[in-house]
Parts: sequence; C-alpha cells; structure tokens
Amino acid sequence: MTQNPPDANPKTRRSGKSMREKKFLKHMFSTRLAASAPRMRFAALGFLVLYGAICGRLIYLGFKPDPATSRRAAAQAVSASRPDIVDRKGEVLASDVKVMSVFAEPRRLIDKDEATELLSAVLPDIDSRDLRERLGAKKGFVWVKREVTSHQRDEVFHLGLPGVGLIAENKRVYPNGPIGAHVLGFANIDNAGIAGIEKYIDGQGLADLHNMGFAATPGDLKPIALSLDIRATHALRDELEKGVEHFKAKAGAAAIMDVNTGEIIALASLPDYDPNKPTDALDPNHINRMNVGVYEMGSTFKALTIAMALDSGKLNLNSKLDASGALSFGRFKIHDYHAQNRALTVPEVFTYSSNVATARMAMGQGVEKHKAFLKKLGQLTRMRTELPESAEPIVPKNWGELNTVTIAFGHGLAVAPLQAMMAVGALMNGGYMITPTFLKRSEEEAKGNAEQVIKAETSEAMRYLMRLNAEIGTAKKVDIDGYFVGGKTGTAEKVINGHYSKTRLFTTFMAVAPSDRPKYLFLTIMDEPQGLPETGGYATAAYNSGYVTGQIIQRVGPVLGLAPRFDPPHEPFPLLAKLGYGMANTPAVGGAKH
Amino acid sequence: MLRFLNLAAIAALIGSAVYAYTIKYQTSYRAEQITKTKIEIKAESDAIAVLRAEWAYMTRPERLQQLADQYLIDFKPLDVKQLIVASALPDKAARTDMIGGKLDALGLGLAATPPVASQASVNATAASASKASPPVTKSQALNEGPVSSPERVLSQEHKKP
Repeated sequence: MTQNPPDANPKTRRSGKSMREKKFLKHMFSTRLAASAPRMRFAALGFLVLYGAICGRLIYLGFKPDPATSRRAAAQAVSASRPDIVDRKGEVLASDVKVMSVFAEPRRLIDKDEATELLSAVLPDIDSRDLRERLGAKKGFVWVKREVTSHQRDEVFHLGLPGVGLIAENKRVYPNGPIGAHVLGFANIDNAGIAGIEKYIDGQGLADLHNMGFAATPGDLKPIALSLDIRATHALRDELEKGVEHFKAKAGAAAIMDVNTGEIIALASLPDYDPNKPTDALDPNHINRMNVGVYEMGSTFKALTIAMALDSGKLNLNSKLDASGALSFGRFKIHDYHAQNRALTVPEVFTYSSNVATARMAMGQGVEKHKAFLKKLGQLTRMRTELPESAEPIVPKNWGELNTVTIAFGHGLAVAPLQAMMAVGALMNGGYMITPTFLKRSEEEAKGNAEQVIKAETSEAMRYLMRLNAEIGTAKKVDIDGYFVGGKTGTAEKVINGHYSKTRLFTTFMAVAPSDRPKYLFLTIMDEPQGLPETGGYATAAYNSGYVTGQIIQRVGPVLGLAPRFDPPHEPFPLLAKLGYGMANTPAVGGAKH
Repeated sequence: MLRFLNLAAIAALIGSAVYAYTIKYQTSYRAEQITKTKIEIKAESDAIAVLRAEWAYMTRPERLQQLADQYLIDFKPLDVKQLIVASALPDKAARTDMIGGKLDALGLGLAATPPVASQASVNATAASASKASPPVTKSQALNEGPVSSPERVLSQEHKKP
C-alpha cells in the first residue's frame, strides 16, 4: 500500500512512478565508469549463487546412495531368500542354496532353431519341441530350465549363445529329508512357503516385503529356531516306523511335548514325505495325523473326565463308583473291557479303565458342566498353532446325555491328537492351559498368559493316577526304569459304515515323564494295528501304541537329557500327602492283569 | 614478477590436475576393489550356506544311524542303567607319599605318611560321599573293596620301566 494521501491525484502518481522507472533503466544502461563497480559485484554475486548451487548439488549427490546398485541388490533379493530354519539346538533344518537357472530372451536370439538344438543337447531332460515353442514366443524373458547342475551351467556358458543367460536363484533344501517334514512344510520353486512353518514364515510379513520390492538380503534374515529337537525327532520317527511295520498298522503318529512350555519337541506322522520332493506332500495319505486328522481318542479321554470329577470336589480319590455289570442307556449298553463287576475306587476306575464308572462320573456332573469343562480344555474348538494346517473337532450337534456318557470314555467326540495332548498337558503341568507351539519358547512366556483350568491338587492327583497305571494298571509297558513314567492307554473302535467295528481299532497312548515333576508328555497313535502272536492276538493300545511309547521313552530319554533316577523319588506327590492320601507316595501293589 | 606468478599459476594448475586425476583413478580402483570384494564375500557366503547344508545333510541322524549300524557293530545304544549321578561317584583318593611308603616298606624309616593312615582317610571320605547321596547300591559297590586309588595303580605302573 502506498502512503500517498487519499486526495492525491492518481494521474500524477502514475507519472511519478514511470519517471522513477525511466531513471532506473537509464542508470542500468549508462556507460559511466562509476556504475561498473556495483555491476561487477552483482555479476560476482550471480556466479557465487550459481557455483554455490552446483556445489550443494554435488554434496547432495555425494551423500545419496547409488541408485543403480541398490536396485540391483533389490532384484537379487526379490528372487526370494528365506531365513534358515534351525532346531532348538541350532541344527539346520532348512536352508537356501544358490543354484543356476538358464533363461533366454527370445527377442535377442538370432537363430532360434540353432539355439533349441544346442540347448537341448546340453540339457537332455527338456522337451526340445516345447522349448522351440517357448523360444518362438514374443516375450522378453522365458525360462529354459531352472536349477541346472554346475556341469550343465558350464556347458550352457560355453555355448556362448547371445540371448541365453544364466541367473542365480535360491533353492530351498531340507537336509534331513522326511524328519520333521510335517512341521517344516515346504517351499515351491519360487521359494514361497506352501505348507507348515514355511508358510507361517511367509505369513509373518516376509511375503509382503518381497512383493513390495524391499531388499531382504540373506544377512538380514535371522534363522528361525523351532521347538523341535532333530535328534529326538529322528529317534521318535525311527521307533514309530519300526512299530508301524511290526504291528502292520495303516498309519501311525507320535509326538513329544514339553508340558511346561507347550513346545513340541518331536513330531512324526507316518506315512510321511520328503519336503525336497514337494509333489509327494499332496498325497492325502501323507497328512499330518497329529494336527490335521481328527480321531476319537478312546480311554485317553477318561483322564479328562476323572479330572473334571475330582476338580469339582464332588469326588475324591477314595470315592467309590458302581461298576457292577453293564450300564444300560436306552437301547445302548456300555460294557467294561476289563470288567470287575463291583464298586471301584477312583484309582481303580483309572487302572481298570472302566467305561461304566467313567460314564457315571460324567453323568454326575451333567451335560452342561461336562461341555463347559471340555470347552475350557480347548476340546470343542479348532486349535490354532503356527502350522496353517489344522482341523475342526467333530462335536455332536445335539449334545444329549448319551453323548456325555460316551464322550466320557472317548467315543463320540473326534479331536486332533495334538489337541488332546494340549488338554492332558494341562492336567499334568499343574493345571495351566498352554497352546502347543512349534517355535522355541521359555516357560515364563508360556505360563505368562496361560489360564489355570484345574487346581494344582487335581493335577497332582492325575499324575498319581497316571503313575499308578504304569505301575499296576494298563500302562505297564511304559514303566521304563529310572524315568518314573506315568501313562494311559486308549483304544477306540473305528466307525465303519456308521457302526463301531470290533476289529478295526484306533489306539492311543499318552505317557508323562517324570510323574513327580512333569517335563515331557508322549503321545503315540496307531491306525488299525494288528494283533500278533506275541501279543496274544490282542490289538488294544497297551500292546502296540503303549509298547512303541515305551521304546520311544527309552531311546529319547538320554537324547533329551532326562536324568534317570534309580531310587523312587522320596515324596513324589506332596500335595496329595497333605490332603491325607499318604498311599500315593508308597509304591503300589499289583492288581490289574495288564 | 608477473611472469613468475603466471608460471607458478600454470604449475599449480597442472599439479592440481595431476592430483585430481590421481585421486579419481585411485577412487575408481578402490571402487573396483570394493565391488570385487563384495562379489567374493557373496560367493563365500553362498559357499558357506552350501557347505552348511551339506554338513547338515551328511550328519543327518538317519545317515549316522545307518553308518553306526554298519561300522560300530560292537557298540550298543546307551542304556539308562549305564548312567549314574555325579554325587554317587567316589571322592578322589587322598594323596599318598608313594616313595615314602616304599622306603618304609624297605625298613628305611623317615616315611612322611604311613600307608595305614592314608587308607583310613580314603575310607572316611568315601563314607562321607555315600552318606551325602541317597543310598545307591552302585556307588557303594564302587566304594568297597581294596582302596580305590587309581593314583597308586598308575604310579606303580609308571615305575616299572
């Protein structure tokens, strides 16, 4: 705003302004000597600014990272590097190795027929007609063959064909073959995780980073430590393989879980596959039976029923239950396999594996409480671990009293074996509900947000029952010297054409070691094992799954560093002793036949 | 004077040009070295990855078991009964003066520690060890018998030649 008074004539003002402009221009272009000095200064200032800008730009460029090289690094990494997978002791389970792949740029090929001829001579296992077709395509880039040997690589290189090149790619290798395969899963030829932990890793953001073009060089990727112990897994798989073969079972699976952390130390499911040949994994017979199959777990479920009854306070270890004769329920009759036909105490119910008495226990609690207890133990909903493969348990739609009666002894509810393991783990570890994990985890981490589902006393009572069962009951096959093992058998009849079959059995065996300070929970399942002459023709759990579990404990114990003790622990069940069950701390006297 | 200044300026110009080019060539040489080293590092780390994978492949439990079955025919898997706890082991025997004992036996006197006393002390320590640990039959078996002094046996053997 000009400071002219408002009454000033606008015309004189404009003429005054033009006068000033004229004077300025005249001064600018005058050739007087006196005017040159400020001009020089002005020019100098101009150059100073110019050079200053150039310098500034140079400094800026100097500090900026070279765009060309970072792009190249990104291109290298985007050909998918994956982190190594190691076991809990650092043994490599999966790793990337560099392999060469042959590619062609059809636009730059001079003689496509000649190129086809030469390439198919060097790489005999590719179809030359197919290759000719691919080279004929109007594309900038086609694969000739991926993952060639070093010899083939040299030969292709010596062909010196323009438009044919070699590029380094990452190939996933699993040095241990089928050991731990069901946990590891596998990656496809583009190094994308397809199953198992490999897929889980991709889900953790690795795939997103790749797709967005961020450089993830092998150095950036920390190895992922699993909870598996590869030596224990091998020993477990080896024993299981022998067992499955010996008992002519259709399939089998076994696992070891650390009850205090929920870590799966070993897992095998037979038949299995080699992750280096991913096509084998697609066979539906090769599924992970621990996690993906759902089965009626049989008598193993009695542990859950008894824990429910004991935890409610309605029963104690001295309570007696009527097990005289079969239990009639509508048109169904429930029998005992080792029928005693008398009233049984709770420990006897467990060691004789009485269906009738367990059914009565569950009926005493009622349908709603039974359901709520199983829900609390995670048996009615899908269990989610790191593995993407999982299965929904098969829960009866209209859960009536009959369902409660049969589920009490493990028929009528099909769960994943690992899920049952989680529940039994909670019964063993003092009552903490811990979801199993396949990644390394500490006890504090696991118990930090674990819900206490049963009382510590109930858990100890369950351990006592398991131990008692190994000493005098149906689980004597696992009473391995020095480990103070406890166990429970489970034999379920398979449903064939809507009926329970007497001859086709599904056997399970759950064992805990050591019973006084629980550390490891072992589970073995077998699908349709056969009776053998040396088992007297019996095909129930104790003879096959139980036997295999015993073998596994014996072999894996030293591998896992489980210290053997040759004197029975002084007071293995202190809480029970306080409650007045002193008998729990003295060695049991025999009763059951097997 | 002016000419000298001119010459000096030219010399400085040439000098600075030479210096600048030296720096430039050195820089590109170094850059080349860095690239080469980076490639070498990458090749090495790739090779390490391959070797690690190969090691894991060669030491896979399956293969080791097969080799053990093939070559270690006289070996048996570790039995739980072969393990004992550290506290069940007998204590180290007390040091005895071997030469003194020998002299004593020869009737030359001047022995530092009579052998009887040393034996008693060994027994005492063994007894205390077995008391500390729960009564393990194996450890007792180890403590009994002639004074379990490996030192003595060793030193006698050493003396022979």
